[in-house]
This record gives sequence, C-alpha cells and structure tokens, in this order.
Amino acid sequence: MTKRRIGITVEYIVLTIVSVISLFPLFWMLMSATNKSTDVLAGRILPGQKLIENMSNLLKTANVGQAMMNSFKYSVLTTVGSVLICSIAGYAFEVYYTKSKNMVFNLLLISMMIPFAATMIPLYTLFGKLNLLNKTLGFALPSLSTVLLIFLFRQSAQSFPKSIIESARLDGAGELRIFLEFFVPITKHTFTAGITVAFMSNWNNYLWPLIIMQSPTSRTMPQLISGLTSGYVTDYGMLMLAVSISILPTVVVFLILQKNFVEGITGAVK
Amino acid sequence: MNARFKTKFKLSTIGWIFILPATLLLLLTKFWPIIRALVLSFQSGVGLNTSFVGAKNYIRMLHDNLLHTSIFNTFFYLLLQVPIMLIIAIILAVILNDSRLKLKGFFRTAIFLPCATSLVSYAIIFRSLFARDGFINLILMKTNIINNPINWLSSPWPARIVIIIALTWRWTGYNMIFYLAGLQGIDPSIYEAAKIDGASAFTSLRKITIPLLKPMILLTSITSISGTLQLFDETKNLTNGGPANSTISISQYIYNLSFAYSPQFGYAAAVSFLVLIMVAILSFTQMKVGDRR
Amino acid sequence: MKRKLSVLLIVAMLVTMLGSCGTASNNKGGKNNSKSSGNALTVWCWDKNFNIYAMNEAAKIYQKDHPDFKLNVVETPWDDVQTKLTTAVTSGQTGTLPDILLMQDNALAKNITNYPKTFVDLTNSGIDFSKFAQYKVALSTVNSKVYGVPFDSGTAVTALRTDVLQKAGYTINDFKNITWSRFIEIAKDVLKKTNIPLLSSQAGSPDLVMMMLQSAGTWTFKGDKLYISDNPALLKAIDVYVELVKSKVLVEVNNWDQYVGTFNTGKVAGAMTGCWILASVQANKDQKGKWAVTNIPKLDGIENATNYSSVGGSSWLVLSTSKNKDLAIDFLGKTFAGSTELYNTILPTSSAIATWGPAGTGSNYEIAHEFFGGQKIFQDIVEYGKNVPKVSYGVYNYEARDAIGTAITKIISGTDKAAALKEAESTVKFQMGK
Repeated sequence: MTKRRIGITVEYIVLTIVSVISLFPLFWMLMSATNKSTDVLAGRILPGQKLIENMSNLLKTANVGQAMMNSFKYSVLTTVGSVLICSIAGYAFEVYYTKSKNMVFNLLLISMMIPFAATMIPLYTLFGKLNLLNKTLGFALPSLSTVLLIFLFRQSAQSFPKSIIESARLDGAGELRIFLEFFVPITKHTFTAGITVAFMSNWNNYLWPLIIMQSPTSRTMPQLISGLTSGYVTDYGMLMLAVSISILPTVVVFLILQKNFVEGITGAVK
Repeated sequence: MNARFKTKFKLSTIGWIFILPATLLLLLTKFWPIIRALVLSFQSGVGLNTSFVGAKNYIRMLHDNLLHTSIFNTFFYLLLQVPIMLIIAIILAVILNDSRLKLKGFFRTAIFLPCATSLVSYAIIFRSLFARDGFINLILMKTNIINNPINWLSSPWPARIVIIIALTWRWTGYNMIFYLAGLQGIDPSIYEAAKIDGASAFTSLRKITIPLLKPMILLTSITSISGTLQLFDETKNLTNGGPANSTISISQYIYNLSFAYSPQFGYAAAVSFLVLIMVAILSFTQMKVGDRR
Repeated sequence: MKRKLSVLLIVAMLVTMLGSCGTASNNKGGKNNSKSSGNALTVWCWDKNFNIYAMNEAAKIYQKDHPDFKLNVVETPWDDVQTKLTTAVTSGQTGTLPDILLMQDNALAKNITNYPKTFVDLTNSGIDFSKFAQYKVALSTVNSKVYGVPFDSGTAVTALRTDVLQKAGYTINDFKNITWSRFIEIAKDVLKKTNIPLLSSQAGSPDLVMMMLQSAGTWTFKGDKLYISDNPALLKAIDVYVELVKSKVLVEVNNWDQYVGTFNTGKVAGAMTGCWILASVQANKDQKGKWAVTNIPKLDGIENATNYSSVGGSSWLVLSTSKNKDLAIDFLGKTFAGSTELYNTILPTSSAIATWGPAGTGSNYEIAHEFFGGQKIFQDIVEYGKNVPKVSYGVYNYEARDAIGTAITKIISGTDKAAALKEAESTVKFQMGK
C-alpha cells in the first residue's frame, strides 16, 4: 500500500516538474503580451500594464480578425477532409492487407522523406498549369492526404480487434458500415490524436499558403505574425500578444478533444 | 472455394477503393513534384536556361564541406534528440495513463502545449533564456554548477545542445499524444493480471506496454527521423545556422541554395534526394526491425 | 440511428470533397488586384511604418494628378518576397507577380543577373538617376544598366549616448572624422570610466566588417574575381573587429532582438550601422535627448579609406511581366524620383531618409530632432550619404558575406586569420561552381 503511495507521489512530482518546464515559456509569452517592447527585450517576466495598448496597436497594425478567419477556414476544411480521406485509407491498408497494397503503402511513405523546399517549385508549376493558383482548392489540396495520418490510422487498425470485423460481416454489415460504426467509435482516441496533429500542422502551415495565395485578403495568422517581425522596428509586446492569440484555437481544439483520451478500449467496446 | 475467392476478391477491391482518394492525392501533390525534382537534380542552370549535366550534382556533394558540416550536425541532433524525446514521451504517456491519477487533463494539456506555440515566440523566448545574462545561466551560477556564464548560442557545442533542448521541449508532448492514443488500445485488465502475478511497474512497462505500443513507437520514430533530417525551423530561427555554421541543418542548406544564395536548384534537388535516401534507409530498417509480420 | 450516423458521415465526406473541388477562391477581388487593370498597380514591400507607409503616401501624391490611379500594397516580408519571386520566375507562372517590388540592395545584383528578363531596364526610362546618391545608383546597376529606383538610405552612422560620453569626459565631436584606432582608444577609456561598452553586434554577422569594407571603397569581388584573402581593407577591418571584441568595447550578442535590446536597455551606449537603426534607437522614450549621431571611423592606413559607408537599404524594381510598365515607371518617376513633398511627408513619422538629392531641401529635413538632443540628424545623414564610396555587391554577395561571417567567428575563437580567410575563399569559390 505504501509502495503504491510512493509510486503515485513520484508520478505527481515528475508531472509537475515537466508541466512547469513546458508552461514556463508560455507563461513568459503571456506576460510579455502585457509589457512594452523594451521590457520584453529586457526579459521581464512580471505582468505589465500595456495589454490594452498592445491590443489597440495590434488591431491598428494588422487585420487579426480576417487572418484568424482565414486560418480557421483553411484549417477546419483541410483537417476534416484529411482525417476522412486518411482514416479510411489507413484502415484499408491494414484490414484488407495484400502484398500489393503494402507495396503501395511503402511507396507512399517515400513522399514524406523529401524536404518541401525541393518539391515546392515543381508543385507550384503544376498547380499553375492546372489553374489552381489563388484558389481555395489549390490551397487545400496538398494537405488533404498526408502519410502521417494514413500511417497513424494504419497503426491504430493494427491493434483493432479483427474479431469485431468478422462478426459484423457475419451479421451482414457492409464494409463501409463496419468502418463507420465499429472502427470509428472504438478508435476515437486515434481520431482525437489525428485531428489534433492535423489541425495543428494546418494552422501553422506557412510556406505553401504564402506562395499559392497572393491576395492580401487571404493572409493567415502565421503570415500576419511574420509580417509583424519583418520591419526595421519590431514591437515585441504587440508581437507576443499576436502570438498568444494565434495559439488559442489549437489549445481549444486540444481541450475539447482530449477528453477522449480518458476511457480505455474496453469501455468503448461495451 | 469459388465463393470464398469471390468474397476475398470483393474485399480486396473495396480495400483499393478506400485507399484510392488518399493515394491519388499523394501522387498528384507529392510524387509528381518528386519526379520533377529528380529530373532537376541532373540539371544545372536557372529558370528556363537549364541543361543536363549527368551525375555532376551528385559528385559535387562529395567535395562540399558545408554540406558535410550540415550532415554532421543533423545526425548529431538525430542520434541524441530522437531517442531522448521518445523515451520521455513514452514515460509521460504511461504515467498519464495511470487511472489513479487526478488532474490528468491539466497535465496532458500542459505537456502538449509547447508544440502548439508559434515558432516566432518560442524562438524569442529560448534565445532570451539562453542569452549570456539569461535565466539559464543565472540558475546554473546560483546553484554553483558553473562559475562563469556559458555563451550558449555563440559556441558550437552549447549551441547544438540548445537546439536539442528546444526540439525536445517542443515535440515531446506531440509524440506523447500518439502514445496516449496507442495506450487506449491496451486492455487495462492485462496490467491487473500482471500485478497479481507480482510484476513490478518496470517489468510491466517492458513486457506489456512497450510491445503493445510497438506500432506507435514505429510511427513516431519514423516521423521523428524524417522530421529531424528535414529540420529547418529551429536552426533557422534559434541560431540561423551559426556560430560559424556549427548548427546548420541539411534543410537549411537546401533553403540557402535555393533562395538565399544565387540559386542552384539542380544541386539543391540533388541534396534533397540525399536526404530522401537517408530517411528511406533508416525508415525501412526500422520497419523491418519493428514490424515483422 | 446508427445507420443515420453513417449516412451523415458519408454526406459530410462528399460535401467536403465536392465543396473543395467546387469552390474557387472566395477572394476574387484579390485575384483581380494582382492582375492590375489599366490604372492600378500592385506593390510588394514589407514594413508597415516604413516602406508600406511611404508607398501609400506616394500614391496619394500621384493621385492628385491621376485621380483614377489605384495602388494595392501587399505586405510581404523580404524573405517571402525572395521566395515568391524565385518560385514564380522559376516555374514560369509570372502572372502572380506584382508590378513593382521592393528589393534589398544586398540581393539586387543576384536577382537581376539570374532573372535578367524579369526586371525592366530603367536606364533610359526618363528617370534622372544623377539626382540620387551615387552609391545607391551603383548598387542598382548591373552590366551598366540601372534597374532600381533607389529608396531608403543605408548610410552608416555612429549613434552614441551623450550622457554616458559626458561621464567619461567626451562629447560626440570627439568621434567625428576619427580613425578606428582613435575610436578604440576612446571606447576603452569610456569602458574604464563608466563600465559601459560603446558597441554591440550580432555574433557571426559580418555587417560591421562589411561596413568598414565599403567605407574603403572595396568589396569582396574585384570585377568577377574574388577579393578576400588579399584584400588589405578586409584584413584591416577584421583586425579592427577582433580588437573591438577582445578589448570588450563591443559586446557580441546572439541575435537581432538582443542586439536591439542592448542599446534600448542601456547596457550598451551606442549603435553603429545603417541609419535605419535610428528608428529602433528611439524605442526607449526614457533616453530622449541623450543620443547624438556622427559619421563612422575610418580604417587606419588604408588607401581611399573614408568616414562614410552604407549597410542595408533597398530599391524599387519594376517587373517586365507587368501590364502597366509605363504607368509603374511614371509613378515611380513622379514620386520617389521626383517629389520633394513625398520625402518631406514621410520623414517625420517613418524616419525614411531619402537618397534622392533634392529631397534634402524639404523643410522637415531641417528639423532639430528632440530625441537626438536637437541635432539636425536628417540633414547630417543626407550629407554623409553624398560621400559614401561606390561599390557593386555582385551576384555572389550572400555567399561571400556568409563565408566572411564564418571566418570572423573562427578567427575570434582562435583560428589563424590567413587560414580562415583562405577557407572562406575556397567556400565561395565552391559555391560559384569553380
């Protein structure tokens, strides 16, 4: 009994230390958002009185609302699309395993092994020929299918009990129905992880939106933030405020989804 | 027999249909550009004035000192940072999966948050933390671990260590998410049974958790290897490759070749293929070791 | 119930796929903007308080005579201008390029040499380049053709805290027209008496050394030939830099924000670089009235050495893919190359100091600047600009700068100077494909 108590105490200590290390820079960032630029550079970690001023400067300097909307639209569209497309593909690579499908999978893996800088110009050339420049479709297309998500759902399908599929088939369920009614709910923790990482990478995507969307009205949050640092003079307080605002959606998405990490597999099957 | 074959065929076809959209999209947006880049890697020149030069770009890599430096740096990050990060991520995920624990949601969120941070702010904060008169030196001096401040970002080895710390800080929570997802697939009754048999926490970690997490470990190690070999953001923003190129990564070098320097796209493409080959070798070795069917 | 769920999911899937296929851009307006109509121009530049502001003011002035004129400024950080330009030109999809873009002088020769057909040769466009500071025109000139309309000045200045100097018994005039050896002498004395160093720089950045190099009228290339390890001015400049660091009168920091922090927080009592730094110097209002500006020290014993140089700065380029080339040229000619009013208007808020000679006669250039203790800094800087030696940065400027930055770092940590420079030279040669 005491041994167990020691165990859990150690766990709490470890988690507290790791949380403090994780949160410290973020805490600093939030504090910086309330300070003036010179105080941020001096490394002030205490709250200041410049939050309102930073906010009004930020709203004057940049169209935050528009950039948040653009980022949000783009991230939601591509996240929903990519999770749908990749979950079913990852599931199929595992459940309908054949040698040839496995070869296709291995081939697909290669696509995440090359630096984007090398494929960016050919991709841009191609999209120019397909008349996809400045189009939402051109914006979203390269993010709709990602090897990471396909891989994630395939790995998850590996530990998915095959007996469930067999018995569902005996009950006469169609293949798509098995996927939607058994795989999706039972592995919803994988969907949680998938949506989280997809949303995050789409939200932070910088280079591709930058070159494919030319109009000033289609600027996303990462572009807005980069714009704040590109001048001869940077207002660091205002910058930190903009950054604090920009990470909110990812935090909210994680907070909403993370409840799914609570229950184990048995709970879901029953 | 015939009927069984038919069902099998039918199932396989359905499988192909499920795979099709994802595959087609990847062919269009990834493979076609990769093939174009491959062609480019045998060319030299800028824009429309290109000419075939055979394997010249590949031979050139042998004599490129800056490339060799960047490969050395990148592998240093890879060999040290990826294992450390993944081990910490597994341990944290296992702890967070303990059913007795309270405040799980808070801890999970706290540990995940770093990867949601924008690079801009975290670069500013890390540079400030590791400045000569920054917070880290202050702590180390107060606790008498060091006597003189370390000039972290201006000396080669300390700068590399800062890059590793920064990467670990940012990406551990990210990998932990995959392990948490993987752990949900493990039936808690297995642990109960092990406990009844008198297995220690460490034994059940080694004998039950790790083997059952294998799919996710494979996933995270392949994505981390690929991510580290394509490392760009951290070195660009924290040290900009310095001091004296001691932290420059391969991807940053590729970027310089394409956009900062007088452009050499053919050569940049060839270096990119070197990265591809290295990631491919490491990944498929991992798969052979980790995924015996 | 469950069946409904699956139907719902399929519908969602189809809607997403069709939706993304069907919707063209919601930003039709934006698309039209980039393909300008007859009386509109699109411009890429990057600093809201500086060049974007200047462009918008220029548009207002041009609109007085051309009421239909429209200007669409797209805020694009410099790195992104380079990325987008390279991507568009290399892929042949030049329809997305603007009519005018702002380019860092450091990258100008490189881009024009690599993409010669992308930019309009302005030599005979009617713009009178003789009225600009000649060092700026030299930076915009490639193969004897002028491509850029010079914009902001990179004229080098020494900005110092007069209160700190006073404590050590000096004034700003002790720094005027001096040599580097004298500068170091005074700086050491100031350090001894006040414990405050006069300068700071980013470790590994070659800016200061390159500034000294240009002050002697030379650069890393002599014609097409690399001019590094046998360049006396460069060897001398590196000696000076090393001595600045070793004598601790210059503090090396790790990056730009810390660099700005050193003088904003009073850890360092001065800044020496392009005059655009003065905007950052003024960030700390508590230091009002405590700063003054003078010219830079000159290299001892070097032929043609001067007290004048340039760091950074940028120029406007017209793209040959523009459908409104003539409009773009006329616009630039009547504003940035023809309007004293423009430069006079933008000076007080942006501190964008003109390199166009007649601008110096504007009334605002005579303002006694309060932050700088009533000094007429703008007039002074315009004067310095007239004396900056002409050099050409060349196609391989970034390669050479990087290599020299690396060499400086190595020399400071103990590598032999000659060896480090030889290595720098061979690195650049390799990158040039030789």
